[in-house]
Amino acid sequence: MKRTINKNLARILGTISLFLILSHTAKCNYPNPEDLHLLKNLNGNWHFSIGLNNDWIQPKFDDSKWETIEVPGPWEDQGFNGYNGYAFYRKNIDIPLSWKDRDLYLNMGYIDDVDEVYLNGHKIGSTGSFPPNYSTAYDAERIYYIPVEYINFDGSNLIAVKVYDSYESGGIVSGDIGLYSGKTAIGLDINLQSLWKFQPGDDMRRKEIQFDDENWAEIFVPAKWEDQGFRDYDGYAWYRKTFNCQLPENEKLVLVLGKIDDIDQVFINGVVVGSTGNFPSNGSDDASTGAEFNAFRGYYIPDGVIKKGQNIIAVRILDTGGSGGIYEGPVGLITQGKYIEYWRNIKKAKN
Amino acid sequence: MKQTKSTIKILKPVSGTWLSMVSLMIFLCSCTRFEANAEDLRKIVNLSGDWRFSIGDDIAWSNPSFDDSGWDKLDVPGTWEGQGYDDYNGYAWYRKTFTINNLPANTPVYLLLGRIDDADVIYLNGRKIAQDGKLPPEFKTAYDIERKFHIPLEYFNKDGDNVIAVRVYDSYQDGGIVDGPVGLYYDTDDEFLSLNFNGFWKFHTGDDKAWRLPEVDEKDWTSLFVPSTWESQGYDDYDGYAWYRYKFSLPQNLSSGDLYLSLGKIDDIDYVYLNGEKIGDVYDLKNHRYFFTNNSFISINSDWEYNARRVYKIPADKLKRPGENIIAVRVYDEHGLGGIYQGPVGIMTSEDNQRYQNKHRHSTGSNFWDFIMSRFFNYDNN
Repeated sequence: MKRTINKNLARILGTISLFLILSHTAKCNYPNPEDLHLLKNLNGNWHFSIGLNNDWIQPKFDDSKWETIEVPGPWEDQGFNGYNGYAFYRKNIDIPLSWKDRDLYLNMGYIDDVDEVYLNGHKIGSTGSFPPNYSTAYDAERIYYIPVEYINFDGSNLIAVKVYDSYESGGIVSGDIGLYSGKTAIGLDINLQSLWKFQPGDDMRRKEIQFDDENWAEIFVPAKWEDQGFRDYDGYAWYRKTFNCQLPENEKLVLVLGKIDDIDQVFINGVVVGSTGNFPSNGSDDASTGAEFNAFRGYYIPDGVIKKGQNIIAVRILDTGGSGGIYEGPVGLITQGKYIEYWRNIKKAKN
Repeated sequence: MKQTKSTIKILKPVSGTWLSMVSLMIFLCSCTRFEANAEDLRKIVNLSGDWRFSIGDDIAWSNPSFDDSGWDKLDVPGTWEGQGYDDYNGYAWYRKTFTINNLPANTPVYLLLGRIDDADVIYLNGRKIAQDGKLPPEFKTAYDIERKFHIPLEYFNKDGDNVIAVRVYDSYQDGGIVDGPVGLYYDTDDEFLSLNFNGFWKFHTGDDKAWRLPEVDEKDWTSLFVPSTWESQGYDDYDGYAWYRYKFSLPQNLSSGDLYLSLGKIDDIDYVYLNGEKIGDVYDLKNHRYFFTNNSFISINSDWEYNARRVYKIPADKLKRPGENIIAVRVYDEHGLGGIYQGPVGIMTSEDNQRYQNKHRHSTGSNFWDFIMSRFFNYDNN
């Protein structure tokens, strides 16, 4: 039967899609700040030093001789007027064991211009790009998920923030700095919100278990790649992540990937487990309907794909413009039973 | 997945004045036109309303004895996004339990499930009866195909509960059994048939003139339900030539008198053979179906074929009375859905053919509105 979309209508839809692409670039952090609730306020005094020394990310480094500085606020207003370049902020916090079952986020507010944040020596987030490929991200709010394995529960945890300021105001300049828990925590059985391997370009061999990703970049998931050193990059890219599964082998699992900009195809141990949108067959990048980026991904994993022990997820992505990547969580594995419960609860909360 | 679908395509506006005049006419008459051309289906069992629903995926949920009493309830038809499952994409199952006590004796029963977004597998009493689109990993949407399946009467449980289970996969945007008629139906036009050919025909894609002949080795032919599109039966996206074959013998009561072969509607073009000889094609119908056909202006760029009701007079000398007759139908589908997709399909007497023609006279293109519609616009009839 004849079902032809009016060409004019297609053009209008195209324009709307373009508008959507343009308008959604501003929003990317997950969860949105209003979905978080504050567990520990971290405004106030932090230890501070200008300079660049990679020892300063380590918890055991003694910063007792450092200056103290008020956070948030530009360092220019606190005795470092005219200083541009590298500086470090450090602070120790206690995290009680009772928070172990929550998804914890560190909100570092707005940092001028570029930052890298470490918890107990482990990188948990980075926004903007340090020199020599400098690019600022002064207008992005830093909300970083803290992988549970980096946390020292019922003990002291060292936050170290490496900052680079190009000119004018510098430092952790504004925001509501603190430790937060995500209100809409889905209750992932395996949380995969952490550093992933990342490489622009396209090569189907990258889905294979034995593919060597040793020399790939490392970026955070979820976050758009533009904020992690791949500013203005559009096109194909791959993510890879190794994870350890100790869940019973017969458990039905769902891989939750939050939102991806724009089109994706996902492999576990070399087997395709899901996709959203259609990759173009002719090599053009004109493939998105403009709606894929906003689709919540939950892929049901076929029986027998996930093994007890080491597994590899590979995500092939095509970003057709604007921001790109696995940009909004939650990201991880959940049993089907809990996933069904999660969606039923969402529905109940609406009624 | 959802895309805005336009039901009207402007081909070539002749001039602004013409266009606005025509547009006005369209608004005035398109609604009735739309209805008039739909199949005349009558409902046996209404299946719209509350269905049991769960997101997730487990093949055990196809089992009629599975206890779904703990499941959510959702209104069908309707997107699940509109009913609390905003943003949910992926697998979900619908289940509905019903009884049936008014099954027609010899008329095919159709299960209509409207549009399902994006792909599905349908089970009746634990038996897989249909699949539309493709589930992952080779995902393919079928969101714009109205689900209509023939159900053999013996699949129903006449004395107790029947359970339909629908496994749905939605890629993104709207998901679920989203709109359209939902229920069990029969086609009232089947009453005009003296001999009903609804059922499985032999089917072969491609084109070979020899396939018109009575003696063809049908070993590598498949079975395809008629009437229904071939897309709904595994031939996704197939365009081009394909052949149908069907064998029948006339019963005693049809041993005399003029007989007509009704082939319902075919997408797009058909050439019909009986016992190896051609008895007609869709262009034979054109003259008495299109009021303005002889006007050269309107004979260009037409798209009327898929919507024409095929009835071919059977030449008495080509019919075996008694004996086995073989119908061969060569179909060419230009694009989109294809095949013998809508009934009635079978043999009509001269009298029943007249009743059938009278019933559909105002919906088969023989009036001015249809002329306007068919010349300037393409339109959906579903």
